[in-house]
Amino acid sequence: MQQLNPSEISEIIKSRIAKLDTSTEARNEGTVVSVSDGIVRIHGLADVMFGEMIEFEGGIYGMALNLEQDSVGAVVLGDYLGLAEGQKVRCTGRILEVPVGPELLGRVVDALGNPIDGKGPVDAKQTDAVEKVAPGVIWRREVNEPVQTGYKSIDAMVPIGRGQRQLIIGDRATGKTTIAIDTIINQKQNWESGDPSKQVRCIYVAIGQKGSTIASVRGALEEAGALEYTTIVAAPASDSAGFKYLAPYTGSAIGQQWMYDGKHVLIVFDDLTKQAEAYRAVSLLLRRPPGREAYPGDVFYLHSRLLERCAKLSDDLGAGSMTGLPIIETKANDVSAFIPTNVISITDGQIFLQSDLFASNQRPAIDVGISVSRVGGAAMTKAMKKVTGSLKVDLAQFRAMEAFAMFASDLDAASRQQLARGQRLMALLKQPAYSPYPLEEMTVSLWLGTTGRLDRVPVEDVIRFEHEFIDFLKRSHEGILAGIRETTKFEDEDALAAAYDSFTDQFETSEGGSIKAGREEAEAMEDDELGQEQIVKQKRG
Amino acid sequence: MAELTTIARPYAKAAFVFAKEQGDLGKWEKMLGLAAAVAGDATMRAYLDQPELDDAAKVSAFAEVCGDELDESGRNFIAQLTQNKRLPLLPIILQLFHELLAQEQRFTDVELISAFDLDDAATEKLVTALKKRLGTDVNVTTSVDQSLIGGVLVRAGDTVIDGSVRGRLNRLAEQLNS
Repeated sequence: MQQLNPSEISEIIKSRIAKLDTSTEARNEGTVVSVSDGIVRIHGLADVMFGEMIEFEGGIYGMALNLEQDSVGAVVLGDYLGLAEGQKVRCTGRILEVPVGPELLGRVVDALGNPIDGKGPVDAKQTDAVEKVAPGVIWRREVNEPVQTGYKSIDAMVPIGRGQRQLIIGDRATGKTTIAIDTIINQKQNWESGDPSKQVRCIYVAIGQKGSTIASVRGALEEAGALEYTTIVAAPASDSAGFKYLAPYTGSAIGQQWMYDGKHVLIVFDDLTKQAEAYRAVSLLLRRPPGREAYPGDVFYLHSRLLERCAKLSDDLGAGSMTGLPIIETKANDVSAFIPTNVISITDGQIFLQSDLFASNQRPAIDVGISVSRVGGAAMTKAMKKVTGSLKVDLAQFRAMEAFAMFASDLDAASRQQLARGQRLMALLKQPAYSPYPLEEMTVSLWLGTTGRLDRVPVEDVIRFEHEFIDFLKRSHEGILAGIRETTKFEDEDALAAAYDSFTDQFETSEGGSIKAGREEAEAMEDDELGQEQIVKQKRG
Repeated sequence: MAELTTIARPYAKAAFVFAKEQGDLGKWEKMLGLAAAVAGDATMRAYLDQPELDDAAKVSAFAEVCGDELDESGRNFIAQLTQNKRLPLLPIILQLFHELLAQEQRFTDVELISAFDLDDAATEKLVTALKKRLGTDVNVTTSVDQSLIGGVLVRAGDTVIDGSVRGRLNRLAEQLNS
């Protein structure tokens, strides 16, 4: 920790004393009437604003949420156990604000922006309102740059653009958080490039999660060297409902400040289901009428106003962006529940993770059929566009064929070929956690799959073949990879095809065979295996 | 309490409007004051809470205690409250009645709390300043609280003007802690 010298301290004190406003001013006061589960009712306080910070005795703050004729309902932000009936409450005249700015990078803060990582105070120069209005229509432009997640399956089939809101949805333990964390880790190369137009600052908002989960996320980010460009806003399960309700807005306020500064931001809300539940708790305690699934009437607005704050700004405003990755947890893969349908309709696409796929070891467990990206296609790099052309169609045909092939044993050659291609593509799209692919490797890998160059490789060898081929390119054809990396275009297909040919000469399958073209075992069938239909003419006697 | 205020408001308003129409605001204020005191009395409450007592018996018992102070319309008001089981609200009704009266007659109840006894000249000066500030006549009650150390604390409804030494010290403490 930074050492403070005594003169510095007295300087600070001197300046603070100088700043003290000793003039007496009129302020509004009220009395606590009831305290229950983090919600207080206050009598008086007639001049309070909606969303205003109110101050309790002992320096605890709260936020006024219900302004009624005879009382004010407020949520306590902090420890409410010290509050008692009859205590005085006063208005502060300020809407809730949190610290924002570059000082927050690499820090873990709570929903009010206070540091909780033991690294000393956040010396932020600026603060900003938590509830900020989203950028208007003329301030925006269409999404046109990609965010690389590092996942082959996502970047190829559901690409995400800067400024897009892409929902990650699935049951518990299907790898939702892992995708988000990997996306953050994958921004490392951009960050190290030092080019502000490439750099993406990340914000991870943890809502209602176990403290241990948050610690392990932080550990994973730190280990990968990703913490230096990431801010974690944590409202763990032990925090009161008010904090969980507030945390996403806090993260968003931090991100928006960077966005208006012309920078790129990626924000992960993990997860909004728990925020909706916290808001439901607050609303019910405030005695707002419950609606479907006991959520209050404005639960749609809760999420729409939050996600609308993710945007791609016009060039006049500095062309900053904020990409949102909200996470929603479903129960029993039911995407038609209330909160999932709400958030699906707000976002620009969703990545749907299936527990069956996860259990059958297809990881990431993305259901290609119902995962879509409505705007990201426009933001794909040229290299990716070129190699992913037929991927989604091939996989769709494969799934249809796979179901059909379960009943029919005899298939024609074309169908068998489609099945073989599909199996290899599925194998190719498997990717373990915390191992994002850089753009050039991903391009090469997908090129192998979509051009049918893996068709002769046995399914169990697909990943090994891909790894060894990329290693081979790194060793002896680095120019091809560097070309893709620098131009983000894939133009020299012939060179890659030539490299592929020379690599196949040396590759050996796990059964010891070769996959060299033209050596496919296709011997003629024995005569006795053939059952030819014969038409025999018979003369009637 | 907040909910009780909501329930009490229509009664207070009805009583106020009726009293205004009759030109009897002062009398009604007195009646309500008495009724509130009676309803707030512990013995009276215990008596009225008896389940075997019917509404008519309760009203006549109430009227008996109040004596001649309660006129015909006042008794009707009590009967109405009894019928709706709202007798315990009387103190709140009285408070709301006061507020309505203050609004009507354009004065504000102000509480002056000082560390030491204020002399007349000082009070007069404060009253003049407050009249200007609040834009209404003021109805001042004074009290002494030595824990303020020095200065005055003014309360007018929700509005608090803290000019006390204690308040300033608190603000200094907050500033240094922030």
